[in-house]
Amino acid sequence: MIELTKTGIDGLDEILNGGIVKDSTTLVSGNPGAGKSILGLQYIYNGVDMFDEKGIYLSFEENQQDLREAAESIGFDKWPEFVERGDILIYDKKQLLGENDFSSSLDMLLEDFRDSEYERLVLDSLAMFNLFFDDERERRTYLLKFSDILKENGLTTLMTNEQGAVFPKSDIGLENYLTDGNIYLLQTPTESGVKRYVWVAKMRKQDIKTDIFPMEISWGGITVHQNASEFSMMNRGDSPIE
Amino acid sequence: MASVDLLRTLGNKYSAEILDAADEPQSAQDLSDELDIPIATCYRRIDELTEHGLLELHDSILSEDRRRIKVYRRNVESVTVDFDQSMGISVEERSEVTNKLDEAWRTLSEG
Repeated sequence: MIELTKTGIDGLDEILNGGIVKDSTTLVSGNPGAGKSILGLQYIYNGVDMFDEKGIYLSFEENQQDLREAAESIGFDKWPEFVERGDILIYDKKQLLGENDFSSSLDMLLEDFRDSEYERLVLDSLAMFNLFFDDERERRTYLLKFSDILKENGLTTLMTNEQGAVFPKSDIGLENYLTDGNIYLLQTPTESGVKRYVWVAKMRKQDIKTDIFPMEISWGGITVHQNASEFSMMNRGDSPIE
Repeated sequence: MASVDLLRTLGNKYSAEILDAADEPQSAQDLSDELDIPIATCYRRIDELTEHGLLELHDSILSEDRRRIKVYRRNVESVTVDFDQSMGISVEERSEVTNKLDEAWRTLSEG
């Protein structure tokens, strides 16, 4: 029986056939604004709030305060409290890249990974992490090693990745093959506003629903809607959810 | 002249091959077997390369028959020779980030 880690996101766990495979690494791809960071925040927040699982949030993109404001803006109002209690451990941009360089932060990080207290991890973003490596071969090697380290330490991980157009011609990066799961967040402008979709393209060891499902971001975070057919990518306009 | 010494060391038979193979920690015996180098020569080259900081003693691991085995790893990414003014050699060391990830990963695989 495969153990699963629930995201606690309405609708998403159903698509995932129960949740993300425990100790796996999943890539969350999408354009800027598609909701990658929110998905990460919610995954970590729900972990503590709903499942009593502590999490680590690594952000090369934002500082501690940006993260708190982002969390609070969508209603994760216990975020500061969880951070205070150490249920959510944050390494922000300032810590990862600031006074000390990344290599010294890495010592602390690796130490915290070994601490079996934590079960969830978000890395925002892989693009920034990749900057520490010289070429494609090195990036690939170290992404695999890093994933192994996370896996062995019992961390179920989401990594965000700036990756644009998936359709019609997909430009699929190597990292998509190297991770256990691929989730794409898509957004498309329509007359009635931005429509958002989520597509779980791959989840090793799991029988997932690979249709594209509509989702929305509102107070309380991301909600994924199950009735895929009603909101196909072709369907312009009058969705009842927007 | 230090840089000429370093070049000479690099130019010795098998030196470059040893550095190339020592991406991951290797014992003298591993290197000798893999590259088909006589073991005495292999030890000599390892000493020379270590002296110049191109190779480093990475660890002493315990073998199956409970002996300590020294493993060596390359300490450099690249060596650049510049003939422009006076000859200069710059050695680019391996990045600490990759070093640390290697280290952590190695500890895992040892279980």
